[in-house]
Amino acid sequence: MSLIELRSIGKTYQSAGLDVEVLKNVSLRIKEGEYVSIIGPSGAGKSTLMTIMGCLGLPSQGIYILDGEEVGQVSDRELSRIRNEKIGFVFQAFHLLPGVTAIDNVMMPLLYSDKVPKDAKQRAQAVLEKVMLGHRLTHTPGQLSGGEQQRVTIARSLINNPKILLADEPTGNLDSKNGVEIMKTFDRLNQEGTTIILITHDQEVALHAQRILTIKDGQIESDQWNENFQKSQAGPARSGVE
Amino acid sequence: MRIFRNLRQALRGVALNKANTFLMTLGIIVGIGSLTVIVAIGEGTKAKVLDRISSLGFGPDSFSVYAGSGRLFFARSGATTSLSLQDVDDIRALPTVRLVIPRQRKRSRVIYKKEFTATRVYGVTPEWQIARDWDMTDGAFFTDQDMERKRRVIVLGSTPAKKLFGDQDPIGKMVRVGDVFFQVIGLLEEKGLTESGYDPDDRSLIPLTTSISRLTHQTYLHSAKVMALDPSLVEKTMEDVRLILRENHNLSPLADDDFRYITPEGIMQWVTESSQALNRMLVLISTVSLLVGGIVIMNILLVSIRERVREIGIRRCFGARRSDITQQFLFESIFVAILGGILGTAIGLAVAIIFQRFDILPTKITWEPFALAFAFSTVIGLVFGIQPARKAAMLSPEESLR
Repeated sequence: MSLIELRSIGKTYQSAGLDVEVLKNVSLRIKEGEYVSIIGPSGAGKSTLMTIMGCLGLPSQGIYILDGEEVGQVSDRELSRIRNEKIGFVFQAFHLLPGVTAIDNVMMPLLYSDKVPKDAKQRAQAVLEKVMLGHRLTHTPGQLSGGEQQRVTIARSLINNPKILLADEPTGNLDSKNGVEIMKTFDRLNQEGTTIILITHDQEVALHAQRILTIKDGQIESDQWNENFQKSQAGPARSGVE
Repeated sequence: MRIFRNLRQALRGVALNKANTFLMTLGIIVGIGSLTVIVAIGEGTKAKVLDRISSLGFGPDSFSVYAGSGRLFFARSGATTSLSLQDVDDIRALPTVRLVIPRQRKRSRVIYKKEFTATRVYGVTPEWQIARDWDMTDGAFFTDQDMERKRRVIVLGSTPAKKLFGDQDPIGKMVRVGDVFFQVIGLLEEKGLTESGYDPDDRSLIPLTTSISRLTHQTYLHSAKVMALDPSLVEKTMEDVRLILRENHNLSPLADDDFRYITPEGIMQWVTESSQALNRMLVLISTVSLLVGGIVIMNILLVSIRERVREIGIRRCFGARRSDITQQFLFESIFVAILGGILGTAIGLAVAIIFQRFDILPTKITWEPFALAFAFSTVIGLVFGIQPARKAAMLSPEESLR
């Protein structure tokens, strides 16, 4: 069974009275444990696809089934619960709560769980250690480097043991050295079994994934298996997936 | 509980956005502060009046009849020849009356050798001392015999006694009131200035008969104090006294009373009425400033929501419901308002204490302002927080992260 199933998804935005069709008839299945890159030029509809897969917005047409649940016309409450339990987000701009310590930032999603686990602090500490930030628990985002901030957001996305990790240009705001570090973290998480969906316009980043989806003009242009998966982390990037 | 978690997030928000928090509290501080001062002044004035009333020597069983129409201490007519000795005798005959003390009053200069002082000289009957329950420090009060013989004896209050005699013993000395010499036979116990600055000791007492024949040269009375047998009989007695006086004075049914009552309730009522207009205005002002404070909170909150779109989006991404966001911002607004309320009360109390200390206005600190401030600021935080909080909650998470 697929973890994610999109059936003829379409999304139309209203902009200045005009209908802008951002996604057209997108169908897609992603299994648990997969490592998927979605690439494409800006404006192709990558981020819209991510909002729909992340239950941040509902599609205009089509059916979205996530982990056996149809994310159709559900209430805000239900959508919030699904986001809370099943999805972890990593953003290009980190989006940490300013002025709040790393550990509190990581624990934030737990606030919105039905029940805060008793070992919340230990869990947060554990995920921070997992991203090598065990020594930065009480630092606020302003006191952390870009790479460290991004690792805090990864820790935050992991705190609820989500089924899927959705990363939108996770290396976009980082220098190459930090970018490499973050990608290594993702690779490791995938090896440990987390489903990762990576949205990027960077070929090199995309090649970390096992499967590469190319989006253009709101449609899937290609869906390829990366033959060099596993090797890609060490070897030089291959150009041209096509 | 989810709601407590949102409450904690709100507290953190208030603590993190210090500049906004400060601006938001300002209006509430002014509003609650002035309200606190107003209540303190109101209570202080009331206390002052009560104190003044008790210095008039009223028990719950007594009232005074003053000559001349008008209200309370404000005689409307100049003619104060309306209260006679006959009136007093008739009142005394009422079955519900225990005592009647007729009074004449003249402000006179009292002279001893080269010392002199102006004081209120009252012509009263010996029962005065019983009615007022006022002890003597030295000598004795005048007696019925003194009354009968129209003796020229005087009992001094402590204020004229000190001014005239200093450290000397006044008993037996002769003082001059106007042109007439009186022998000092007693000294009243000192009561001390009241809180409001009234000096009950600034008085001297002579027998009423002596006053009629030597001092005022007329038989009309200034006033009479009436003590009923029981406090519950006061009202009926006042009604009976009114009938007697109207009949004695040949007043037609349409004519106004040519006398007036002074009762503790009457004074109280007068004070309440006269302070009410001022109070209403002050309450209006503080209500307006509280409203302005609420609007300030609402606007700053709306602006801060625009600044915090990101934060809202992040929270929503990780599972915050709309209701979580609403609660968080509503709590923030309530916290800010209550914080303003606390600071406002503190400042208001400080002002009230300064007023009291430097004798600017009488104030009294009671628990009411605290309760009022708490209730008002909670309501304001709630009312003016709802709109911004709902606005924050309605932001779509996908757009707020763009």
